[in-house]
Amino acid sequence: MNKKVANKASAVLFASVLALGLAGCSPAVEETPAAEVSSAPASLKIAIVPKAINIGYFTAWDEGAQKACVELKAICDYIGPNEITGAAQVEFINQVIQQQYDILVISAADQNAIVPSLQKAKDAGIIIVTSDADVAAESKDSRVVSILPSEENRIGTAQVDWMAEAIGSTGSVAIISPANAANQTAWINAMGPYLESQYPEMSWVGGSLEKAVFYANDPTESSEAFAAILAQYPDVAGIISPTTVGVLAAAVEKKAKKAAVKVTGLGLPSEMASYIEDGTVEKVGLWNPLDLGYVAVYAGVAAKNGTFDGAVGSSFMAGDKSYTVVEGNIAYLGDPYTFTKENIAEFKVIY
Amino acid sequence: MSKFSVRKYRFTWDKGVVVFLVAAVLIGSFGSEYFATASNLSFVIQSIAEIAIIATAMTYLIISGEIDLSVASIMALSSASIGYSFQAGVPFEAAILIGLLVGLLAGLLNGVLVTVFGLPSLAVTIATLALFRGLCWVLLENKPVNQLPTDWVALGNDNIPNTFLPWATIPLVLIAGISWFVLHNTKLGRWVFVIGVNPVASKFSGIPVKGVKLGLFAFTGLMSAVAGVIYTLRFASASPDGGAGYELSVIAAVLFGGVAIAGGVGTMWGVMAAVLSLGVIRSALQLVGFSANALLVVSGGLLLISVILPRVTEFMRSQSSKASIQSNKKEKVYK
Amino acid sequence: MKLLKKALRVRELPGILGLLLIYVGTGVVNPRFFSPSILNDILYGVAIVAILAIAQTFVIVMRHIDLSVGSVIGFTSFLIGDLSSQGFSLLAVLTVAVLVGATVGAINGFLVAYLGLPSLVVTLATLYIVRGIFNEVGAGKTVVESMVPKELNWLGLNQFFGVPYLFIIVVALMLIAGVTMHKSRAARDLYAIGSNPSAAQLVGIPVKRRILLAFVATGAVSGLAGAVMLARFSSASTQSGLGLELLVVAACVVGGVSIAGGSGSVFGAVIGAVLLQEILLAIGALGIPQFWQLAVNGALIIAAIGLDRYLSTRVKTSNIMGATS
Repeated sequence: MNKKVANKASAVLFASVLALGLAGCSPAVEETPAAEVSSAPASLKIAIVPKAINIGYFTAWDEGAQKACVELKAICDYIGPNEITGAAQVEFINQVIQQQYDILVISAADQNAIVPSLQKAKDAGIIIVTSDADVAAESKDSRVVSILPSEENRIGTAQVDWMAEAIGSTGSVAIISPANAANQTAWINAMGPYLESQYPEMSWVGGSLEKAVFYANDPTESSEAFAAILAQYPDVAGIISPTTVGVLAAAVEKKAKKAAVKVTGLGLPSEMASYIEDGTVEKVGLWNPLDLGYVAVYAGVAAKNGTFDGAVGSSFMAGDKSYTVVEGNIAYLGDPYTFTKENIAEFKVIY
Repeated sequence: MSKFSVRKYRFTWDKGVVVFLVAAVLIGSFGSEYFATASNLSFVIQSIAEIAIIATAMTYLIISGEIDLSVASIMALSSASIGYSFQAGVPFEAAILIGLLVGLLAGLLNGVLVTVFGLPSLAVTIATLALFRGLCWVLLENKPVNQLPTDWVALGNDNIPNTFLPWATIPLVLIAGISWFVLHNTKLGRWVFVIGVNPVASKFSGIPVKGVKLGLFAFTGLMSAVAGVIYTLRFASASPDGGAGYELSVIAAVLFGGVAIAGGVGTMWGVMAAVLSLGVIRSALQLVGFSANALLVVSGGLLLISVILPRVTEFMRSQSSKASIQSNKKEKVYK
Repeated sequence: MKLLKKALRVRELPGILGLLLIYVGTGVVNPRFFSPSILNDILYGVAIVAILAIAQTFVIVMRHIDLSVGSVIGFTSFLIGDLSSQGFSLLAVLTVAVLVGATVGAINGFLVAYLGLPSLVVTLATLYIVRGIFNEVGAGKTVVESMVPKELNWLGLNQFFGVPYLFIIVVALMLIAGVTMHKSRAARDLYAIGSNPSAAQLVGIPVKRRILLAFVATGAVSGLAGAVMLARFSSASTQSGLGLELLVVAACVVGGVSIAGGSGSVFGAVIGAVLLQEILLAIGALGIPQFWQLAVNGALIIAAIGLDRYLSTRVKTSNIMGATS
């Protein structure tokens, strides 16, 4: 008896909840919000969505974005998931759609998974700019433009150059990189042919680029990858890590094991400072994440104002610099900065 | 637990979850102008669909006294299988069937390890969590599959025409409905409860305990695969690291729905209400302005409340019954 | 005494056998695996999981589990670096770490012991809550090498006759914990509680106090282990410690600490952790392609669980743990 009553009561309650939900329903959010009215840009609402909100790199990225927002008198909200997954980020894209933001600046946590959501945001009239990490090339129509640091080739080949400098252009090289990360995959693909053509005295461990890449998705795995490289190829001359997590872990391991292998890659100056200062690492490089955020906001606002449409060849102003869109609807910032003993003190306090 | 208090427990907590659901809807509606919209309801349902489907199977499993931590990996593996097959040229419909089959087999593997080899399900499914996830990497390496057929992707993202309900609602309601019916109205369902309450006695009453458990693990695998299909369509891609961490969300939802981790107690209504309300409260709090970190703390808090509250009410009830007995000057009753 | 020793030997046997088998097997295929640097890598890399596994043993033998250890160790690892860079002494930051861990453990223990809540649920909840608080406190910050206390840095970098200090800490902890579990009345009660909770109660063991104590111990050790994590990585952030708990439970199980409770030792837990670490390096040495590694790892753990089950002296139909009947 009790059970039947309970079930019936639950059913009634459930139905009434649904009814409540339905009653409170407004039609689907299709029309573009009030910002469409050509009023002062002061009321622009911009959502800044990183891969994950708690990571230092993205805090710097947001800093740049906020700076642009202040200059443009827009309201910028830094929201995002606390784990780097496409599924988690989609929930926040949904929030952006629901709260009717004008512009979405986003670093794609997953180059494919967020595309359907971005489409929905686009359909709702939101201007989308990807920054730092882009969606898959096939999906470039889902965003107006992508702000990326440097041409993939340049980022990949630059690291090979730094490595060659460090090891005297001779010896075998390994790579530590996250798996399934679009940026890294592109950079590594650029490294292969470049090393082979420019540095005939250098080679990949194991004989091929494929064998030379050791996958690691977090600090622990990166440390283990370092150990595995040294174990399998004790004569390795250098390790490149095109990720701040990896290059930091490699530096830590190298110092701990007093290994001779040279380490370079993409490193945050604030994290790598002590290793550059004590000589564990000679040089690392990175672009400025603040710039990535800053320029992206400007691109978004320009698109919203109708002065920029992201077409190949078009350009927009960010601060006092002009940026031009190239193939793939991407605008690049420029070549990466490099950090060495000479300039590390200056940069380690910035980001 | 006496039969009476078991019923009371279910009665109390299930009502509690539904009340919570109503409260969550109210919080959202009054806290944010963007909450009570058709599009938001659509988003919420989409965000919980996979978890809800897996939760139906997990409910059976936990009631029977077992657990499966590998569900997220099975979901990812079926998704990876779909992607892999499709990329190899298999027509998409067939790829989906392959994905479902893979999930079923994975569930069977779990079931065999537990029932035939007698391994503890908690430990074994931690291992298969790694094994199945590892197979995703074997299949896809570091190249996720995108470019899935657009009409299928539309199924994963769009609403049923002229409504605000996503297509995923259909399998969700069907599966939830059937699961509810079987659990509460059939012999099989009763068996599941009895096995959870007392596996030894069940065996002696002629219930094929091992067979039932094997079937439940297979069912769990299949449901994870169904969730995997929906996941693949929703995210228009198959990638080796999809769905990571979902198993904890599923278990948290099932526990929040009033299913006792020790087995033998729970209702499908409670779990479905729990999944829905967890999705709703997430959406509501997000729109009110809670950060992802705050939501994490809330999730943990809700989980705690879901187990503390029944305990507290039970305790209070036993205190009051003790008091009334003592006032009748009868002997002290063991709890 | 002799009987106890025999029982101990049986439980750890599969783990030790596995260790040797894999070592020899891999070395035969790839002689470079026998080099001392590999051994060094294994010992160096295993420290964190080993310490957490030792702590986890306290609760697993009682038929409970503590899933919050990953969040705790990540948090304290970050706190030690962060507070240290603000000028607090090593002793002060270590005390804070232990206190944070012990507090979480006390909350876990109280809820499990005195409210009779299942440990899986409680520690899952505290996993979320601690991680959420940690994320807020550490949002956007990274602890870098310059913020790490010099002493910890030194411990992380140096060795004692070829054995990394971090591993020596593991051994020391193992010995202390092992002797305690063996000799102390309170610790031996944990085994009794795991074997048969109701009997333990009837015999007069203060079950609730013991459970609380075990969780506080686990939490405190996990908190202190944050120092080891910081020493190992010379860095910490909100990403630290993510997902560690499942690895730790796997290490315990593989090392013969039965999920069903009542048996296993900290020695086994360490063996389990070392075995998992060894597998990691062996897979690479055997030339198994990287993308296969996780799958192979999973398969091996299943094999280890199966072997342990086969060799165990007690046949027990296990329910999900956490049930206090």
